[in-house]
Amino acid sequence: MSDRVEIIAGERPIREINREIRAAVAEGEPVVVRDTLSRHNLGIGLAEGADIRFEGSVGYYCGGLNNGGTVHVTRNAGWGTGEAMAKGHITVDGYAGMSVGASMRGGIIHVKGDAGPRCGVAMKGGDIVVEGTVGFLTGFMAHTGRIIAVGGAGEACGDSLWGGEVWVGGPIHSLGVDSKVIEPEADEVADVERLLASLGIDGSHDWKKIVSAQRLWHFESRDASAWLMI
Amino acid sequence: MCGIAGRICAPPGRVGHDLVELMQAQRHRGSDSTGFGLYGIPRDTGYVVRAVAAERSRLSTLLDSFLEATRAHGADFSADPTWDELSQKHVSVRAEITEPSDSVEAWLADADHIDGFEIQSVGRSLEIVKDLGDAYAVADKHGVRDFIGTHGIANARMATESFVSPTASHPFWARPYPDIAIVHNGQLTNYFLLTDKLVRKGYDFKTQNDSEVIAIWLSDQMAAGRTLVESLELSKTALDGCFTYILATPDTLGFAKDKFAIKPLVVVEEESGSVAIGTEEQAVRKVYRDEIDVINYDGPLISATWAVPQAVPA
Repeated sequence: MSDRVEIIAGERPIREINREIRAAVAEGEPVVVRDTLSRHNLGIGLAEGADIRFEGSVGYYCGGLNNGGTVHVTRNAGWGTGEAMAKGHITVDGYAGMSVGASMRGGIIHVKGDAGPRCGVAMKGGDIVVEGTVGFLTGFMAHTGRIIAVGGAGEACGDSLWGGEVWVGGPIHSLGVDSKVIEPEADEVADVERLLASLGIDGSHDWKKIVSAQRLWHFESRDASAWLMI
Repeated sequence: MCGIAGRICAPPGRVGHDLVELMQAQRHRGSDSTGFGLYGIPRDTGYVVRAVAAERSRLSTLLDSFLEATRAHGADFSADPTWDELSQKHVSVRAEITEPSDSVEAWLADADHIDGFEIQSVGRSLEIVKDLGDAYAVADKHGVRDFIGTHGIANARMATESFVSPTASHPFWARPYPDIAIVHNGQLTNYFLLTDKLVRKGYDFKTQNDSEVIAIWLSDQMAAGRTLVESLELSKTALDGCFTYILATPDTLGFAKDKFAIKPLVVVEEESGSVAIGTEEQAVRKVYRDEIDVINYDGPLISATWAVPQAVPA
């Protein structure tokens, strides 16, 4: 029923599993990994053209350092999914744990459920799209890149943003330190809607764009109280 | 880092075995020491004591001192004490005693101050087993897998605030309150101040470990009339640092988490009342191998409790 190369993870060493994934990718074969047991470090450093489906939940850092591969997790993902990825496309059907897309530089991470705290922490490029809500401290210290939370955002949204953007289509529980909501330009909204449409998501929302208020970019003693909140 | 775990078995069952698996799966989070706080079937009267004697060569002298201090409070061994027969310098001792005629506190004021003999837990059912090495090493040495009980907690430690030793590892017993213990993942930054206040109130601390204060602080709150839930709630801001800890009492497991929300907790709850708790989901999957719905307690300033179905006293 599946024309994919099948790899059973189980209790085997992660290095062995990742070697098998890389070997299949080198042959140009799409892969399905079963019996994932929420294990860490699955599908790290994938090359351009890799197409991996993880049947079940995965642990920490799945798809980390991705360099152009396509990753699909059919249930939940743990901490640091797609950490430091350069390019590629990661889809999580369920809940993406803490720090999804941490330090990512490019590519797309698409979460169909909710995302945990510190979504897109220190990201330096690319897009994170969360159909549900994003958790506490979303976009914490994001340099560049875009986080799009269709369903809403939790506490301290956009805390200590540098140059990144957080787009929220639903309610925002609270804004973080030194972040502000601004009115997006029509062409920016069109770009977000185009991206969502490419993922099969209705993009017609009352978008709130959160950016840095830039008070923390340079230290000034009159802002000491804001710094102390961090 | 550190990893923590909790387990409720409904009906009572292989809580030792399950906690060993939960911890071995998290050994990469720190395995300089591993500890288990296990709740067996509670006794009506008397206590089970777990202790560590610092020097094997002095074991019989230390046991004599302990027995003398115990007899001075109208209690006695209700069974011959047992200990590990390995060649390590420290010895882990298990003893059962009858009810002290005055109070546990009065008895501990003597029995818990024997130089070189440190009590690790006292309880109707609680037994704390903690030692150097990863979960399998500690389990092999102390027979943890065979432990049958209602519930328990465990910790794999990566020492950050104090030295590596069996006594400075987790779980920490809420000395002198029987049957209360905690495990902790994180660091506290105000432990010195809290400890100092509690010492002034007469509490006794045995280590420099930041986590030791959690169990005693919570017990002090409860002794002052707060409920367990209120105490957990208050701890979220009274403790400073980054932490996720699990509190165990004879009838409840509870947890609380700080405002930074960086220490994860993953929980599986069964309709039967059985619960498995771990820092990482992959550890919980050692107990529940199939894909299962987990609760991720990922947000800031949260706490929860789970009731332990009560066993019939033996």
